[in-house]
Amino acid sequence: MAATASSNLANRLEAIVGAQRVRAPTAAEARAADTIVEPVSVEQICEIVRMCEADRIALAPIGAARSLAGIRRSPVALGISMVRMARIVAYEPGDMTVVAEAGITVGELNTAMAGARQRLPVDPCGPGMTTLGSLIGAAHSGPLRLSEGTSRDLLIGVRFVGHGGSLVHGGGRVVKNVAGYDLMKLMGGAFGTLGIVTEATFKVRPIPSDYCLAVVPYARAADAFAAARILNDSIPLSNLDILSPGLATRFNSTGQFLLLAGFSGNPPEIGYQAGRIRDSAGARGEILGALDALRSYELLRDIDFHSAPLAAQIAVPPAFLARVLESCGSDIEFRAHAGAGVAQIIAADEPGAEAPAIAVARWREVARSTRGTLRLIAAAPAIRDSLEFFDTPNAGALALMRRLKAAFDPAGIFNPGCFVGGI
Amino acid sequence: MSSIDRKLLHELREILGAGGIVSRATELKVYECDGWTVEKRAPEVLILPRSTAQLSAVLAALHRRGIAFVPRGAGTGLSGGCLSLNAPAMICTSKMNRIVEIDFDNRRVEAESGVVNLHVTNAVKSKGYFYAPDPSSQVACTIGGNIAENSGGPHTLKYGVTTNHVLALEVVLPDGEVVELGGPAEERCGYDLVGAVVGAEGTAGIVTRATLKLMREPENHRTILATFADADSATRAVSMIIASGIVPAALEMMDQLIIRAVEDAFHVGLPIDAGAVLLIELEGLEAGLSTYADEVAKTANLAGASSVRLARDEAERALLWKARKRAFGAVGRLAPNYATQDGVVPRTCLPRILRVIADVSRRYDLRIGNVFHAGDGNLHPIILYDEREPDQVRRAIDAGREILKACVEMGGSLTGEHGIGVEKIGEMPLMFSPDDLRVMTELRHVFDPMERSNPGKVIPQPGACVEVAAPRRQAPI
Repeated sequence: MAATASSNLANRLEAIVGAQRVRAPTAAEARAADTIVEPVSVEQICEIVRMCEADRIALAPIGAARSLAGIRRSPVALGISMVRMARIVAYEPGDMTVVAEAGITVGELNTAMAGARQRLPVDPCGPGMTTLGSLIGAAHSGPLRLSEGTSRDLLIGVRFVGHGGSLVHGGGRVVKNVAGYDLMKLMGGAFGTLGIVTEATFKVRPIPSDYCLAVVPYARAADAFAAARILNDSIPLSNLDILSPGLATRFNSTGQFLLLAGFSGNPPEIGYQAGRIRDSAGARGEILGALDALRSYELLRDIDFHSAPLAAQIAVPPAFLARVLESCGSDIEFRAHAGAGVAQIIAADEPGAEAPAIAVARWREVARSTRGTLRLIAAAPAIRDSLEFFDTPNAGALALMRRLKAAFDPAGIFNPGCFVGGI
Repeated sequence: MSSIDRKLLHELREILGAGGIVSRATELKVYECDGWTVEKRAPEVLILPRSTAQLSAVLAALHRRGIAFVPRGAGTGLSGGCLSLNAPAMICTSKMNRIVEIDFDNRRVEAESGVVNLHVTNAVKSKGYFYAPDPSSQVACTIGGNIAENSGGPHTLKYGVTTNHVLALEVVLPDGEVVELGGPAEERCGYDLVGAVVGAEGTAGIVTRATLKLMREPENHRTILATFADADSATRAVSMIIASGIVPAALEMMDQLIIRAVEDAFHVGLPIDAGAVLLIELEGLEAGLSTYADEVAKTANLAGASSVRLARDEAERALLWKARKRAFGAVGRLAPNYATQDGVVPRTCLPRILRVIADVSRRYDLRIGNVFHAGDGNLHPIILYDEREPDQVRRAIDAGREILKACVEMGGSLTGEHGIGVEKIGEMPLMFSPDDLRVMTELRHVFDPMERSNPGKVIPQPGACVEVAAPRRQAPI
């Protein structure tokens, strides 16, 4: 029965996109979707959405499928891979904006802009795997959020295929624009539940001419966070992160918490900031420059939480982050974006059948006690059913979210059942 | 449409107590328009709640009778966003003006929506912090109004607009329900409804409270005045500076007409023979600033600057900013009336759009000056006219429309910071397709299914054609 339905679906998809563009999922995609289609145009996506609405077939946009594979309890029927829609539509360095299709990765986009010494400064784990669609939909960010903001701050225009298979756009190509409602914000962090993003316009930023990274070990987390706070108040850092000992091992550190403070600027600025950091760190640690700094920054950026058996992102008012992580227990490892109040945490031990739900409930309670939030990034399939991936918003906000979902997805086909409140 | 009757007035008095409502026509006249003075209509009743609970009760009472309302902050908006249109009740948040909590540790401030923008910065500056969005009306405009309009200001280039600085909102929905959206952390739970409410121009209910981010004051700044023979080379310099990898805190331009008007009025020492000047402000660590200032000067020279002057001290810096900020006042001396646009173009299109504006000026036989946020590509062409001459008025309207249309055709926007309101609602179809507008209406209905919160704003009714009878408003930008 299922096989027939699936082959029926494949036949109808082939009629829209051609036989070569419909395929079985790869191992990485299998937990996200049962069948993968690779449309080459917006028109094809519009047609696919209309077909799926008519027959109530669940679909979801996928890039590398890491985010959805990590959180869906069961795959959607159809994954819309954006891999064939990965063009840069318009890039003019003097405008400091770029328009690109949703299937291009952050890495590819940044390679194309490197000649003009510009970049999209949002730095998820593995930029070479993270498509713009995923960056927006799953609200990925990284260490640079401290100085550059997140995709929420930089996304100035969006095109998406919404219900009825209609192509909708919000925003524009200019950095300042208040015409119409801000549809960009709705798409950000919506995990594809409101439509399929096909094109995005971002503000881009200059690549700093020099980047240095101070790497300072501390025996106690509290000391690392205290030092981070003083630095954050005294100089404009690019990133300010703290790793727990288990994650710090990749920097050849043993048993210590590591403070990683990145800074950039022209030579006099770099010299000044290095001096301030040395004043704060004393004889401990080292300041890396040039390629060493970049390599270490990439190590920090690319810590992979998607493949952990249980990983979460916690966000709290920044001054509370140290206390919150301490309250999460000694059996976690973390990467903390100290200035932003955001941290990724993983259960240090392979979680058993019962423990994960208890651990997640504890983390969630700790986050809530500071009016913060927690969402799971990944959980092993065996434990997935026992876990809530998202906080439940307050009743008033949740009611609005349900209305929004109903308005934007009346057929209920866009990545159903895995967002907040079962949306 | 239902209207205000005695029974409702009585009920409102019960909720609000003495001084909570204004219903006398002479007193209501003050509220007949905002900074867009072309269209005027006073509300039937003005409601001044002091608390969220009062406002919630008021909106519930209006909801039961199906009465529409217009939210208003300080009334400094420039696009008619709080014009009393199809709504007998106006609700003003000015009495909800407490700063609830300042949390320096977390760089957050929680404020009621009637708090004046500048009062937030005033409350935190002694500890070296500030609230970044700084519209020119910041001595009067409110946080709630800024949220409705997603206001910007000269610092937008570096710090972004209001939406980048709002973390959480308390909103009273049109049926009186109070909802909390967002939170004090940087990541949200579920859809970004805060992002949807900011910039909705009061069509999603009334914001009563907001959690805002505070920024650290920069260590120091450098202010540079670069002089050019013509507007073309000045705008080329803008793109070259941006492309060189330096992002100034502010990058403003004035053309010859404006320079002369400012110089005649205030004698600040601007070069009156110049075709255009750029006012460039850099900020950051003192250690690096001189190097950046040198680089900007070099780039400006490369673009053809005839002179580049660095403000020697705080007094000279203040003088240069005074020239920029008073430009609109100076223009008032050149013609009986002027109208200002708020179009935006991609930065590299600045030379082209300025040529279009010059051409429009010639063809319509109207003088047009330019003083604007060049770093953002946000134009403010000032069209001079005399309202006593009907033909001039008509030409001013048509000239303004032609400029906006050209902005959109270059990939730009109808409005960078003033909002759509009623002023530009007729031009929305230039930027958005029927499908775009339908989806925006669907979003509006999530918050306000009966369209009772600020009806007739932002989204044009399908098939309706708004005829603007007079030119754009005149107001300092």
